[in-house]
Amino acid sequence: MKIIPYLMYLFLISFHETILGDLTSVGGVAFDMTILIVVLTALYKGEMEALWFGFVAGLVAGAAAPDILPYRVILTVVLSVLANFLSNRINLESIVSRLVILAGMVLINRLVITSLTSTDEIFFVLFRFILPSVLYTSLWGLIFFAFKDGIITPQKVKALF
Amino acid sequence: MAWMTAIFARNRRYVNYGIVAILFLLLLVGGGNLRPWSANLCLTLFYYPFSEIRNNIARLNDAAEDNSRLKNSLTEASLQLNALAEARRENQRLREFLGFAPAEGYRVIPVKIISLIQDGYPLAAVVNKGTSDGIEINQAVVNRFGLVGRVKEVMTGHATVQLLTDPSHAVSARIAESRQIGIVRFVPGEGLIFDNLPADADVKAGDVIITSGLGGIYPDGLAVAVVDSVAPPKIDIIKSVWLRPNVNFLSIEELYVLKGGAL
Repeated sequence: MKIIPYLMYLFLISFHETILGDLTSVGGVAFDMTILIVVLTALYKGEMEALWFGFVAGLVAGAAAPDILPYRVILTVVLSVLANFLSNRINLESIVSRLVILAGMVLINRLVITSLTSTDEIFFVLFRFILPSVLYTSLWGLIFFAFKDGIITPQKVKALF
Repeated sequence: MAWMTAIFARNRRYVNYGIVAILFLLLLVGGGNLRPWSANLCLTLFYYPFSEIRNNIARLNDAAEDNSRLKNSLTEASLQLNALAEARRENQRLREFLGFAPAEGYRVIPVKIISLIQDGYPLAAVVNKGTSDGIEINQAVVNRFGLVGRVKEVMTGHATVQLLTDPSHAVSARIAESRQIGIVRFVPGEGLIFDNLPADADVKAGDVIITSGLGGIYPDGLAVAVVDSVAPPKIDIIKSVWLRPNVNFLSIEELYVLKGGAL
């Protein structure tokens, strides 16, 4: 297991939490970079990578709130392992199936974190923040999958202009 | 040892899950130090560089806002300065037309107080510049609020400023509005008073007292004090007027010595 790419993923998570999240948020809705990276790792890497990267990513993502740190860690581990488990049982050729896994994991993650931290009305948070965040993260996932599958290539982008 | 390695190799998957479970349990129940320690470690390793960048960006934004605000202030100030320069030229022309001597300009020598001589109230201040810096006896000393005193003694590298609150010091002054002249002096136990003012003088609380320019030491127009209260004359023909000095003599720090010459 090469460690440097994983370190870069972790730095990307912290970069998103500190700077990128605010810059890329739309109407106060940010995409869930932690789960995006964790799910992508789980989909394309092995089970042990998913397990350990989920653990460390949970630590990094939850470092700002030590009170709920263990719950963030176990949640990320469970979602990572679950995504890896599902990836072995579904047709990964289809972008839709990967997007469904990604959206499901973001939804679960957001719902659990909201129930741990937020005191606001759950339905308000669900419709105002969680579901838009799921859609926004899925959009980034779609772009990634499209690049990964060669649906979008630099040549095709260049050809547009 | 070999059997342990063999067990780990055969059950690698479960061992990994077991280690993760143990670490999770440690985080969950070992709350006291482990949780903050691990959170701090992650923050230091992964967040610190980015939070520094973010703070620097925030500081740059603040500096840009300050810069924009200061530019506006500078523009306003330079417009005011232009208007004042124009008014000064007009004043000079009118003085020449009326046959008045041209108003004297002053340069300022900034000085710092190195010691304050007190006797219940401040009497004098020793400042860090002297004859070698162009300071001479009887030059007026001000700060940004108004008149502070005059140079009483001067040596090569320092000078003594006699403050307005020295009871042996008196300043010829006038009421800015009614132009009536009197003497400003400090009376221990009473404070700053405006003396020698006739009983029928037009003075009220809030009037501004400025130097009159008489006496040859202080230029005219320097802010001295504001009238605090006025007592009606009883048998005396002199009105009693108490003043509130513009300068707080207990907190003076940076002063300016006025040196005659073109501005």
